[in-house]
Amino acid sequence: MATTDTGTEVPSAISAARPDDDAPPGIGPYALAWRRLKRNRAALFFGGVFALIVVLCLLAPFYAKHVAHTGPNANHLTDQVRVGGKLKDVVTPGGIPIGPTWHGRFLLGADGNGRDVAVRLLYGGRNSLEIGVVATLITMLLATMIGLAAGFFRGLTDAILSRVLDLIWSFPVVILGVALGVALAVGGLNLGLFELKGNSLGVPAVIIGVVYIPYVAKPIRGQVLGLREREFVDAARVQGLGNVRIMIGEVLPNLASTIIVFIPLIIANAILLEAGLSYLGAGVQDPNPSWGTMISDGIRLIPSAIHLTFVPGFMLLFTVLGINVFGDGVRDALDPRAKVRIER
Amino acid sequence: MQWTIKRIGAIALTGAVTVALGACGSSSKSDDNGGGSATSGGKSGGTATVLMGTAPDYLDPQRAYTTQGAEAHWISYLGLYTYAHKNGVEGGKVIPALAEDFPKVTNGGKTYTMTLRKGLKYSDGTAVKASDFPFTIERAIKAPWGGKSFFTGYIKGAQAFDSGKAKSISGIKADDATGEITIDLVKPYGAFLNVIAFPSAGFVPTGTKMGNLSNNPPPGVGPYILKDVVPNRSFKVVRNPDWTDQTVPGVPKGKMDISVKIASNTQTEAEQVLNNAADVFDWGDQLPPSLASQVTAKAGDRFAKQNTVSTYYFFLNTQTKPFNNLKARQAVNYAVDRRAIARLNGGNFKPTCWFLPEGLIGHPMGECPYGDPNAAPDMAKARQLLKESGLAGSTVTVWGQNRSPRKEFTNYYTDVLNQMGFKAKTKIIADAQYFPTIGNLKLQPQTGFADWNQDFPNPSDFYLLMDKNTTQATNNQNFSQVNDPHIQSELAELNAVPADKLDTVADRWQKLDEYLAQKAYIVSYGQQQNPKFFSDKLNFDAAVFHPLYGNDWSTLEPK
Repeated sequence: MATTDTGTEVPSAISAARPDDDAPPGIGPYALAWRRLKRNRAALFFGGVFALIVVLCLLAPFYAKHVAHTGPNANHLTDQVRVGGKLKDVVTPGGIPIGPTWHGRFLLGADGNGRDVAVRLLYGGRNSLEIGVVATLITMLLATMIGLAAGFFRGLTDAILSRVLDLIWSFPVVILGVALGVALAVGGLNLGLFELKGNSLGVPAVIIGVVYIPYVAKPIRGQVLGLREREFVDAARVQGLGNVRIMIGEVLPNLASTIIVFIPLIIANAILLEAGLSYLGAGVQDPNPSWGTMISDGIRLIPSAIHLTFVPGFMLLFTVLGINVFGDGVRDALDPRAKVRIER
Repeated sequence: MQWTIKRIGAIALTGAVTVALGACGSSSKSDDNGGGSATSGGKSGGTATVLMGTAPDYLDPQRAYTTQGAEAHWISYLGLYTYAHKNGVEGGKVIPALAEDFPKVTNGGKTYTMTLRKGLKYSDGTAVKASDFPFTIERAIKAPWGGKSFFTGYIKGAQAFDSGKAKSISGIKADDATGEITIDLVKPYGAFLNVIAFPSAGFVPTGTKMGNLSNNPPPGVGPYILKDVVPNRSFKVVRNPDWTDQTVPGVPKGKMDISVKIASNTQTEAEQVLNNAADVFDWGDQLPPSLASQVTAKAGDRFAKQNTVSTYYFFLNTQTKPFNNLKARQAVNYAVDRRAIARLNGGNFKPTCWFLPEGLIGHPMGECPYGDPNAAPDMAKARQLLKESGLAGSTVTVWGQNRSPRKEFTNYYTDVLNQMGFKAKTKIIADAQYFPTIGNLKLQPQTGFADWNQDFPNPSDFYLLMDKNTTQATNNQNFSQVNDPHIQSELAELNAVPADKLDTVADRWQKLDEYLAQKAYIVSYGQQQNPKFFSDKLNFDAAVFHPLYGNDWSTLEPK
């Protein structure tokens, strides 16, 4: 019976039909995964969409300065802009903002404060992506440490850490996020070693990072429970290596695939949660833009300025879709069980 | 009173009231009279759903200081005096409530003597006693009610009680046997009758706990009873079954029970009323601009704009940098575009730079010192003044409330400060916590949103916001912490003028307001027009829009 590259046995009939038969002999598991990923056109396409959005958001300062000629928080309530040869109010005396002009200034229209929607969209994307990535880093770092410690040491350590994870997990994510966001919005977060002001992007990043820890830590813990019984761990012990060196040197590398698979999924969820918290006023604080705050601000103007909610909504949709589909592709490329499903 | 804070002041006597309120401005779409007055005719029964954009700060009558709180309290907790349940000028008149008649004023305007009506009972059946009045005032002072300076500044012995030097207020004497109540003042105050007509002076039984009873309000005397409180979500104001139109003449029994729900999203709030899923739109909110045309087209027969005697402004803390500097404050006044803020309010502001609004004695009629509020601002001048002050680049935190359009006002204002040369950032906090937060002196907020709706048609009501004697450690309302000797000396004389003689000092009030504008202690920007907007279940014309309390729930009746 043949074995997969991760050591799991699979039936010969299936292994005989593997799509990687043309792979060079001795190819490493990550190189193999990359080959598989390159063949997944949907994943590559949506990964490209996500990358494009990231690049656009990174170019926000350039767009603001050279194309829109305004910043993300600049109000233009009493300004006028030329559209089709006619001068139009950016915001009418009755408070209705202009719609998309489809040229440099106010490309996607203005919001209720006369701010350029396209500029805020890109800056908001920067904020949303920054929070998503930072939150993911926090989640992955802490979840890996906690999962590793809980699974490796077991006993009292596992009991305590698992109960802490259960406690966090028992709260609905959005409610916990809103509660923490509202509580920290005014006074910020002071942990002695570092301090975050109430309107800092770090506050929602830390909150989102913390609430997602159990979602990653528990699967990692489960995997570590199995890995610690493997012969290479025994061999390391026999050689006299300490627990920490065994965890970092032997167990952690075997978690790499799992960690890599989780990263895009957590980024997607973090961005979605950030948008939700910002929509509810517990995430990014005014006047900093984020897609969630833009949707929230646009709600009251839906009947007359629907672009204010649609535009950030679509950006959110394509960003999360892009990461999710790409993340699925990464998982399929790395996860041997997924490989078996594909082969059937 | 602030938007969410309702301060109730005593109404001046008839003559001054007529003059003051008769000068209220009106727009082509406004309906100053709002139709209706309290009568015993019309249908009754059922429950009206009233939406509030912000929960009352408190439902405890001796603590509440928001319009939302007062709307419920003035019909549930009557004091010695209240206001007529009428529209416009007539609604500004004080009428006896638990007192049999108007007081006898002696001793040069410093002693008020009145007698309690006989046979009154609280909603729990307890008999009302004269000694409940001094207890109520003591409770309001200890709470502390945000307007307690009205009591401590004028009633003899109230300051000593407040500071713990006395166990009771020596200036109030109450005889339970005869029902006679005597109040001695430290100095004459022309608007004192308005003071004891505040809902916070609404009687509660002696012995009522001093702590915050918002979740389970104490019994009161009135046509309505507060009950079923779900904090920040809902509460009910139900008809008192023992109340009749004859219990207190001029305070009719209600026609419908009221179910109040908090709806912080004004879009949802307006849609619910438009679609008849709720009955009353919070008069303190504004219709979202996107719905305004729909409302006018589909519900024109149940919508009207009501002029209010109000001022919307940004306070400037004169005790901390950078706004302890005159040039910095004046610079801000030059920079703010009042037309822009009017647009944020859906066009429902009359741009202004004066503190005393149109319709109130003392409103200046001359040119604004910072340019025409209906024209573009002078940003160049603003930047020059800021540069001269040496405070360019100062960090400023701008405080604002979370709900629209106040959040938008604050965001706009922050942008203006940044354009001028400050380093400004916004701090938006939840509505219900906003005024208690910025009213805490420990915080020393530099600048932020504020507003004031008249409690009574007397400029002294507005000027308590500029009076150093009203500054208090918590629940402070003098957000700019103004401490100006000229203002103090003027107020000492002007506040003593009886309400029926306000005309004689109109010029002095006007000069004082012009002085205030020059000193730039605040940045006034607008006078509000508010919506009277109902579902088609209610008789729109019968309902009173009260000049102080907005929609008079006791006059709501089904069609």
